[in-house]
Amino acid sequence: MNASRSTPTTACAAGLAGTTPDLDRAIARLLAFGTYLAIGLLTLGVLLMAVAGQSPFSPTSFPSFDAARLPQDLAAGRAEGFLWLGLVTVIATPSARVIAALVGYARAGDRRMVAVSLGILAVIATSVAVGLLFSGSAT
Amino acid sequence: MIAGLGLIVGGIAAGVFGSLLGLGGGILIVPLLTLGFGLPLREAVGVSLVSVIVTSSASAGVYLQRHVANLRLGMTLELFTAMGALIGGLLAFLLDERTLAALFAALLVYAAISMLRRPGGATEAEPGAGYVYRIQRSGLGYVGSVGAGVISALLGVGGGLVKVPVMHLVMGVPLRVATATSNLMIGITASASAIIYLFRGGIDPYVAGPVAVGVFLGASVGSRTAHRIDLRVLRTLFVLVLTYTAFEMIRKALLL
Repeated sequence: MNASRSTPTTACAAGLAGTTPDLDRAIARLLAFGTYLAIGLLTLGVLLMAVAGQSPFSPTSFPSFDAARLPQDLAAGRAEGFLWLGLVTVIATPSARVIAALVGYARAGDRRMVAVSLGILAVIATSVAVGLLFSGSAT
Repeated sequence: MIAGLGLIVGGIAAGVFGSLLGLGGGILIVPLLTLGFGLPLREAVGVSLVSVIVTSSASAGVYLQRHVANLRLGMTLELFTAMGALIGGLLAFLLDERTLAALFAALLVYAAISMLRRPGGATEAEPGAGYVYRIQRSGLGYVGSVGAGVISALLGVGGGLVKVPVMHLVMGVPLRVATATSNLMIGITASASAIIYLFRGGIDPYVAGPVAVGVFLGASVGSRTAHRIDLRVLRTLFVLVLTYTAFEMIRKALLL
C-alpha cells in the first residue's frame, strides 16, 4: 500500500487520491440501477402488504429469510417474496459495485486495486459463510 | 395499515434530515423504531442497516458522477470497515439490549457535540475530476476504518461520524471528498453486517420494506431542497432531537 504515502499526487495518478472518471461513471450507473430496482421491488411488496391488509407488526415473530421459498412467494404474488427480493437486491448492490470495480481495475492492469477488490469480496463471502453458519439462530 | 404508513412517514423524515445534514438516516431510524414503535433494539439495527445501504447507493452514484467521491480511497478503506463490520455483526448478537442502548446513547451524544462544532457554511469549493490533494497517515486511517465498521454493525448507523473526521483530520482529505467517499463506503460496510443480520433472522421484511421506501423518498426530497433550507436552524433542531433521544435511550438502558 505504498502508493498512499504523502507525496503529492495528480488526480490521475495511481495513488489513493487519484480518480478514475470512466469507471466512476459506470459504477454510478450500476448503483442507480440497483437502487431503483430494489426500491421498485420493495414498493411492490409494500403495496401488496396494503392490499392484503397486512400490518407490519401483526405477526409477533416475522419470517426468516429462506432463499428456497422465494420463487414460490414471487409466483404466488405474496408481499413477503417481493420484500425479501428487494432487501436482497439492496444488500447485494454494493457487492455488485465491487465486482464491477474489480473488472474495471483488472482491465486497466491496476493490480493493487484488484487485490483490494478481491479482499473486500473475501470479507463479504466470509459474512455470508458466518451468516449461514448461524442461520436463524438468534434475535 | 396505519402502522405501515407511520413507518413510511418516519422513514421519509429520517431520509430528509439525514440528507440535509450529511448523515445516514440510521441515527434517527433506530430510535424511531425502538422508542416510537417498540421494536427490540437489535431488530431496529437490522432495519436501519438496510436503510443506510439504500441512501448510500442512491447518493454515492451522484457523488461518483460529479467526481467528488474517491473510489480508490473509498475501496481501500472499506476493506477495513468491512472487516470491522464483520466483527461488529458477530458482537451484536452477543451483547444484551441494555448495553446496545447505552452505546447508542453515547453515539447520540457524540453526534450532537459533532453537529454543534461544525462550521456554519460551506468552506470548500466542490472538487471535480482535476482536483489535487495528498493523503497522509494512511495506517491510522485503516485503524479508524475498522472502528467505524464495528460501530456501524453494532448500532445500525453508516459510521460517517467516525469516517469523515478520520479521513479529513487524520488523512488530510478535503471535507467534501471525505463526506462523499464516506457515503460511498457505507454501502459495503453496512452490507457486510446486514448479511449476518439477514441470515440470523435479524431483519423484519414487513418493517424494513416500508422504512427503506420512506428513507429513499426522504433522501431524494432532502437532496433537492438542501439549498433552500437554513441549515443553522435545522442543525439546532437536530441537536435538540439527538439530546432528547439520547436521554430516552439512557432511560431505556437503565430500565431494561
